[in-house]
Amino acid sequence: MTDTTLLLPVIMPFAAALLVLFVPKTIRMVREGMVLGASLMNLVLAAAFFKTNASISLPWLGFGFDLALRFYHFGNFIVLASAVFILLTALYCSVFLYGKSYSKQFYFYFLLSVGLTNGAVLADNLLLVLFFWEAMLLPLFGMIAIGNRQAYKTATKAFIIVGATDLCFMAGIILSGSLAATFTISRINLPPSGLGALAFLFLMVGIISKAGAMPFHSWIPDAAIDAPLPFMAFFPASLEKLLGIYFLARISLDMFKVNGDSWVSLLLMVVGALTILLAVAMALIQTDYKRLLSYHAISQVGYMILGIGTLVPAGIIGGLFHMLNHTVYKSCLFFSAGSLERQAGTTALEKLGGLAGRMPVTFACFLVAALSISGVPPFNGFFSKELVYEGALQRGWVFYLAALLGSFLTAVSFLKLGHAAFLGRTRDNNRLTAESPFSMLIPMVVLALVCITFGVFNFIPLRYFIQPVVGFGGPHQGVPSGMFLGGFTVAVLALALLNHVLGVKSGGSALKATDHIHYAPALKGIYEKAEKGYLDPYNIGWRAAGVLSAVSWRLDRAVDWFYDSFCVKAASGASAMIRRMHSGNYSVYIGWSLAASAAVITFLLKIHG
Amino acid sequence: MTNLDLILLILMVVAAVWAVMARSLLKAAIGLAIVSIVITIFMFEFSSPLAAVFELSVCSGLITVIFLSTIGLTRPLSHKELLALARDRGRRYGFLPLLVIACGAVLAFLLLKMPLDLEVAKNTIVAGAREVLWNARHLDLFGQIMILLAGVFGAVLLFRENSTDEW
Amino acid sequence: MPSLLILVPLVGILVLNFLFKFVVRRAAFWFALALFATQVIITFLHAPFFYAGNADRFNPFFKVVFNIDGISFVALLCIEIVCLASLVVARYTLHDLSQRFNFTNLLLISSIGMNGLVLTSDIFSLYVFLEVAAVSSFIMIAFRRGKRSLEGAFKYIILSAVATVLMLAAIAILLLACSDTSFAAIRQGIGQSPESNIILFSVGMFISGLFIKAGLVPFHAWLPDAYSAAPDAVSVLLAGIVTKACGVYTLIRLVVSVFGFRPGLSQVILLLGAVSVLVGALAALGQNDFKRMLAYSSISQIGYIVLGLGSGTALGLAGAVFHFFNHAIFKSLLFVNAAAVAEEAHTTDMDKIGGLSSRMPVTGSTSVIGFLSAAGIPPLAGFWSKLVIIIALWKAGDIAYAVIAVLASILTLSYLLSMQRRVFFGRLKQGLEDTREVGPGFSFISVLLALIIIACGLLFPMVFNAIYAPIKQILIQ
Repeated sequence: MTDTTLLLPVIMPFAAALLVLFVPKTIRMVREGMVLGASLMNLVLAAAFFKTNASISLPWLGFGFDLALRFYHFGNFIVLASAVFILLTALYCSVFLYGKSYSKQFYFYFLLSVGLTNGAVLADNLLLVLFFWEAMLLPLFGMIAIGNRQAYKTATKAFIIVGATDLCFMAGIILSGSLAATFTISRINLPPSGLGALAFLFLMVGIISKAGAMPFHSWIPDAAIDAPLPFMAFFPASLEKLLGIYFLARISLDMFKVNGDSWVSLLLMVVGALTILLAVAMALIQTDYKRLLSYHAISQVGYMILGIGTLVPAGIIGGLFHMLNHTVYKSCLFFSAGSLERQAGTTALEKLGGLAGRMPVTFACFLVAALSISGVPPFNGFFSKELVYEGALQRGWVFYLAALLGSFLTAVSFLKLGHAAFLGRTRDNNRLTAESPFSMLIPMVVLALVCITFGVFNFIPLRYFIQPVVGFGGPHQGVPSGMFLGGFTVAVLALALLNHVLGVKSGGSALKATDHIHYAPALKGIYEKAEKGYLDPYNIGWRAAGVLSAVSWRLDRAVDWFYDSFCVKAASGASAMIRRMHSGNYSVYIGWSLAASAAVITFLLKIHG
Repeated sequence: MTNLDLILLILMVVAAVWAVMARSLLKAAIGLAIVSIVITIFMFEFSSPLAAVFELSVCSGLITVIFLSTIGLTRPLSHKELLALARDRGRRYGFLPLLVIACGAVLAFLLLKMPLDLEVAKNTIVAGAREVLWNARHLDLFGQIMILLAGVFGAVLLFRENSTDEW
Repeated sequence: MPSLLILVPLVGILVLNFLFKFVVRRAAFWFALALFATQVIITFLHAPFFYAGNADRFNPFFKVVFNIDGISFVALLCIEIVCLASLVVARYTLHDLSQRFNFTNLLLISSIGMNGLVLTSDIFSLYVFLEVAAVSSFIMIAFRRGKRSLEGAFKYIILSAVATVLMLAAIAILLLACSDTSFAAIRQGIGQSPESNIILFSVGMFISGLFIKAGLVPFHAWLPDAYSAAPDAVSVLLAGIVTKACGVYTLIRLVVSVFGFRPGLSQVILLLGAVSVLVGALAALGQNDFKRMLAYSSISQIGYIVLGLGSGTALGLAGAVFHFFNHAIFKSLLFVNAAAVAEEAHTTDMDKIGGLSSRMPVTGSTSVIGFLSAAGIPPLAGFWSKLVIIIALWKAGDIAYAVIAVLASILTLSYLLSMQRRVFFGRLKQGLEDTREVGPGFSFISVLLALIIIACGLLFPMVFNAIYAPIKQILIQ
């Protein structure tokens, strides 16, 4: 393999993105074909490079900023996984976006983000990582902004949140680079104490924000409503999870010498547990298909962070496995949401119902994915969650309980979702709804099959993908070491079903199945505030910014006065003074010249004297 | 430096100030002539009789004669105008003696505090001053011709009746 | 032959006065134009000598060594271009034929003076040619014989006389101390006894004389009167090149080739440069007269050139020389535009004119280019030279001066913007309805100058390298 071909995974998508911009509008299928072709080529490249173990370093801008890529199993695995989702998304989009006015821009950003993701994962130089990482803001902003009317605002919100945390990421990179005296990732190994702790914190903030964990999550539910749907399946659900968790694993396992007793582990587990619980609690009360899914996209990140944060083999493997599983079933779920949106015209749950008969394939795929995400055996989600549980239990029963509670609420909310959307009475506006076109079904079916395969034959991903990455594994074959834990899980799931049945009975419909939790005495007020966005860190930030801006306004007046009045007055005053000094009197002028000459001569003599 | 030199120098400064401050042009011209004469004396003293003779004949002699004859052609100012002029001049140049004194004081102070070492590496003029100043001066001669030429055009332009030669 | 640069105008004067004066007086303009065009060509012909590193050309006619190096080349080029512009302006603004004829003669003499002082490598010849340029300037300022013209010329004469006395005295001392008046001998003499007080004294006097000629604050007082009182064509010449050739070029030449950069000298130059930049800009801010404002602006811009020189590095010197060139071009352009305004609106009081852009589009738009270049707006040439100067100051550690230079460029922008707004933009003032472009030659010369500005800005790397590389070599010597 020559050096230059190693650059292809990064360069090819960029070239394709530029090409897409120039494809004429009139022959539309050419554009779709090109995007599919590029995605396919990306997959082929990822597969071809999967076994490669090589580095390439080209001098670029100087100052230690080299174009250094490193191919090794972990990065290759992430690139391969993302390439699969990219191809599926491209296939899905070719129908979903057909005829949409923004499809050209979407494809441009789509291919751009492919290249950036490959670059960020493969880069072996922190500054290069930073370059690709920050550049992801562009497709992020662009893809949200081309959505509906509200989209621009949401895009700005996403941009600000992700941009601010990217700044932390930048600070972390510069700090760790200067501490380690190198920007080459494979040579960095820092202790997380002192300045190193600060560097780790900065990096962690940037990374979990990219992965969408709390408290940097709040743009995702908004984007779910406003942005084009494939964006959700593709960006927050798969690409950013892969990227974020990949880097979380890198910094926790490689770049920093972290051991199980350190505060880092505890911090990660707390963040993970809180993310699981808070996000799923919000998911519980959602009445929109996409929005509900988006909260789950946040909540599931918690499992991954928790798993990696435990720093015990079972937890790490579980976390990574869960990352893989989550991208599979969450993409599938978002694709099903897209089917509903395209076929039924809405994703609001109160307008849906009884679609199982009209969209059987979609329903089947949804069912598989929902069972996976809820952790029902023998689907893939069950196994990865079990591994995370086991890891959590080794570190403390609190985390185990939190994870279990999250699992319970996940199951409850998906029971509600499936029941309300696909079962029950058929609504009037859904009578003519038909099944989605073929090329939208393919990605869903493929993903659903993967859910089953990775569940039943869980040794495949574990043995071939995950364990080579972490370098250990041993007995962890996906089956929990004690049936004890599995039993608990099944019991919790049964409880969830019971809760759903009771909820439907007391609420009257599937949609109101979670109302007894929503309107429980202690929770009602909190939920109300959360729904109104009072608890959104972004909004809190804006309120703080309001106070700050009032202070700044005063300061600004003062500065304004300084520039507008003081400077102008000073300048015109000086100008008038100078004008008065030029009286037109020769003798005065001669006097100036002579005095200045005397001063010059005296100065010259003095300085040498 | 002898006492005579000192007296002569003071005389020269006084004459120069008088030339500037004098009410009538006549006195100013005479003041100028005195300055010239003092310079001539110095030149004799510094053993350059040729330059001294030129200075005496041209500056204090010829130029003063031209000045005086030109002034003779002008109408003298009335007494009132003269007074106004004097007042104006006093206002405008009144600070001049003060300036001279102040400069002198500052210089004297500096010299007392830090005596100027006027020694330089002894460079005798190899070819002789005459050689340097006159014999290798083709370019300067050319330049001086140009100055004269400019003067001619100036005289033509500035001292000539208005022409009505429009185009 | 470098001496052609002073012989061609002389032959031109002779031919003009003995042939054209009696035969085809009207063709005098075209003849003079051809003469200046020839000089531009001669200047360019000499560029290769110096790029080849063979700077010394012994000239049998004058029995002296003429020295054209990178700095002289730029100065010569500026001289020829600005003289050309001045000649064209004179054709349209001096209506009296004989007046114009004599002006042409004086212009040729002035160019002899400036060429000579740029070419010479002898301090006394330098003084003589300085006087040639100065005397012709006095007459050109005064020849309209108005009260203001005479006053302006008189101020110039008086302060020039002060400068002359200072320089002559310094030359006398240097002759005695160094035994000769050539640059090389004086440099050697200074090198032998660098701490000698008497030499320092003479250097200080000479430099002060040059400061007066260059019009640096506080030696500048003659300059606004002379510039604004002079006839329009003469203003172009004075502001464009005469003060710069007489004061700034000589300053650069003497500091670089004779006196050398010594700490005290650099500090004096930097301080005066910074004061000029600031005071010139502030004074320009309060002016109501178009030409007077441009005169103060010249003081400020000359301050920038001097600041570049004061940094004492090759980069700063190259920036100074580049700004020298840029200032010659854009200030000539602005004065050409001022001449057009004065010619059409019969006043240069900015309160009485306005909105001329609608009637004089070429003048208005070239003026925009000129003032943007003067204010240092990228990508025009003035931006680059200022940038180089500021960077050089920063690198040399004179950070305070760099900051002053940056701040003053804000002032520059503000007064030039207000000038442009008051003269060219806005509503046309009453009584100016029948103004129009002065003539094709006028428009041609302003467009030509504007094009030079744009080209030098866009081709900055090439132009600057052509200046920078030789200057580095000069400083190494």
